[in-house]
Amino acid sequence: MTVVDLPARTHPDERTIADGNDQRKRRRRREYGLFALLVAPNLLVIAVFAYWPIIYNAFLSLTDWNMIAARPTFVGLANYGRTLTDPAFHKTLWITVVFTGLIVVGSLVIGLALAFLFNLPLKGRGAVRTIAFAPHILSGAAVATIWAFIFDPGYGLMRALIEPFGAEPPDWMNNSDWALPGLVIVYLWKNVGFAALIYLAGLQGLPKELDEAAAIDGASTWTRFRSIKLPLLAPITFFLLITTVIGTFQAFDVIAVMTGGGPGDATTTLSWSIYNEGFQAFNAGRAATLSIIMFVILLLVTTVQARVMERRVHYR
Amino acid sequence: MSMLRRTFLGVTAGLSLAGCGYRSVDATYSQPDGEVPKQYAGRTRVVFWSPYGGVNGKAVDKLVAKFNDSQQDVYVEVQFQGSYDDVAQKVAAALVAKQAPDLAVLSDVTWERFFLNDALEPLNGYFTDGFGPGVYQEKLFGEYVVKGQSWAVPFARSTPIMYYNRDAFAKAGLPDRAPRTWSELRSWVPSLAKVQSGGRSLRTIAFAKIDGDWQFQGNVWQFGGAYSKGLDITIDQAGAVAAGEWQRSMVHDLGAAYMASSPSTDFANGLVAVIQESTGGMKTISSKAKFKVGAGFIPSEVASGLATGGGGIGMLRNISDERKQAAATFLQFLALPENSAWWTTQTGYLPVVNKAREDAELKKLIAEQPNYGVAIAQLENARQQDAIRLYGRNANVQIYTGLQQIYADNAQPKKVFASVGRRLEAIGDEVKRLYEEKVL
Repeated sequence: MTVVDLPARTHPDERTIADGNDQRKRRRRREYGLFALLVAPNLLVIAVFAYWPIIYNAFLSLTDWNMIAARPTFVGLANYGRTLTDPAFHKTLWITVVFTGLIVVGSLVIGLALAFLFNLPLKGRGAVRTIAFAPHILSGAAVATIWAFIFDPGYGLMRALIEPFGAEPPDWMNNSDWALPGLVIVYLWKNVGFAALIYLAGLQGLPKELDEAAAIDGASTWTRFRSIKLPLLAPITFFLLITTVIGTFQAFDVIAVMTGGGPGDATTTLSWSIYNEGFQAFNAGRAATLSIIMFVILLLVTTVQARVMERRVHYR
Repeated sequence: MSMLRRTFLGVTAGLSLAGCGYRSVDATYSQPDGEVPKQYAGRTRVVFWSPYGGVNGKAVDKLVAKFNDSQQDVYVEVQFQGSYDDVAQKVAAALVAKQAPDLAVLSDVTWERFFLNDALEPLNGYFTDGFGPGVYQEKLFGEYVVKGQSWAVPFARSTPIMYYNRDAFAKAGLPDRAPRTWSELRSWVPSLAKVQSGGRSLRTIAFAKIDGDWQFQGNVWQFGGAYSKGLDITIDQAGAVAAGEWQRSMVHDLGAAYMASSPSTDFANGLVAVIQESTGGMKTISSKAKFKVGAGFIPSEVASGLATGGGGIGMLRNISDERKQAAATFLQFLALPENSAWWTTQTGYLPVVNKAREDAELKKLIAEQPNYGVAIAQLENARQQDAIRLYGRNANVQIYTGLQQIYADNAQPKKVFASVGRRLEAIGDEVKRLYEEKVL
């Protein structure tokens, strides 16, 4: 900036050029002003509702605060040390990874299969598409309440379905071995329609020439799927991968209604443990620490995914 | 470090300026929003946060409506906030946002944290002849008194009682009464299993998945143990382990018990023969059940004793004097014997006011439905819970999470409680300084 104000040591002939420069600079400054003015409202909203909470959260993670005390106590990195060495935290992390992995893989595979199905010229597919997508827009708490009924060993739908065959249904939500698979089923039911819809849009946007050419050359359906459609769908897969990983990491509603992180700690994911530390135990500092850890994990996962995919995704 | 500390202080100051953050103990905060109906315009508004829904919620609404029509100066607005835990969370969140309800129902395990951190208004200064010591049932009143100062007053107070399915008991050929000891209940398992219910053999008892540590507090005493002595943890010792072992064995050795998301729903639907449930569920359970509901004392084993629980009403400190005075008139209203008695008849909670027991309506109800008198008669065996559950934040969650492992996974109580005990010790350490300074 100061460069502009330096005394001009230019040849008189160059003055016009310098004047032109000044004008351009002035114009550019005005353009910057307009730019700033136009982005300001958005930037302000993002700053207040996204960046500020992250910064505040990072600050809280360095404190011990029960949310009622007049002032937090500074404890440095003690919360991080305590959390990272806590076996319960390791188990939580493992449960979160398993839970996320199952849901991501399940959503993508089933979603893709459904998308192919919906892409076939079958009767009534419009209605079926709508039905498959509907769970995605339902509120998580409502979905959880319905599934809690379905899974209930006393009066649930599962009991009515399974008992006629002489088998006893598992007590899904009250059994440590079944609670997590039960939750995965619920989240898949809720998510698969979304993945299917996005894949379907992708499928319908694929260039037909490639597929037809391959078919004429005698490529089998499987080869066409594996070598043509799947690679072409890579950007879609990439998008779904990132959104599903992030969404599942933050899954909370269904867990809160159906298991409360239990039985024991069988379904205590990272997001549930944040809630538990923050709003049941009133340990704002430790909850903030867990949030920051989750933030860093998601940032890393997303960066790695983006890097890997950059090389392998074919954007057309 | 000093550099770090200075940065920290700077950041703290910055955050405070940015309006984030912390409660100033003596500041006056605004009231949560709401609407005052026209006929009550011009009165001092009092916001009352309540955790009671369903049958009990309707009773709260009626009580408040009666108050609003009884005088000209104060308008009380009930705002339903969810469970006891939800109310506590929301009060804490409101305070951070520099807002405060005037009155809030705080549970047996949440009022302490607000008291320890100076968020509650001391109530002695508001006491009158009809509102204060001597008026309330001594034991229940005394639980909120610390060093001579009252920090809340009892409202929806309870003890667990044993509900039993009288029809099922008759079919099983059992006496028409609750078991006297846990061993006796265990000996009744084969008879109860012969009764069919919903296509299955009837199970004897259901344990609560969430908050079951309240009932278990009494069970631990009945088996001769304790959660803690002061803040010294004893849950890993013989009595508590024996209580856990009795329950584990009922679930996994006999198949006669199970963990239920809502024991009272299962009971009302006839799936289970007995439950230990709050007396505050009396009206709800009686109206839902399609069989004759019996009620009796919680069994003893090597000892007797059960935990008081339920909600008291605290006044928030960060509100204006005008609001405090207005809120106090509502508390005085609730302390009138006829109102306390009416609340009991509508819910099943204990009458917290002594003279309420002489109320004609309540007497009549108890004469007609003796179930409503069980908790009152049992109250002399009840006592305040062990300090770690009351003062240790999240101690209750740690204990019931441990119980879930016993019920769901057949985990050995000795092992579970050793690990729960270690967590409770850490929790106790966190609150120790404030506890010693303010309570002892």
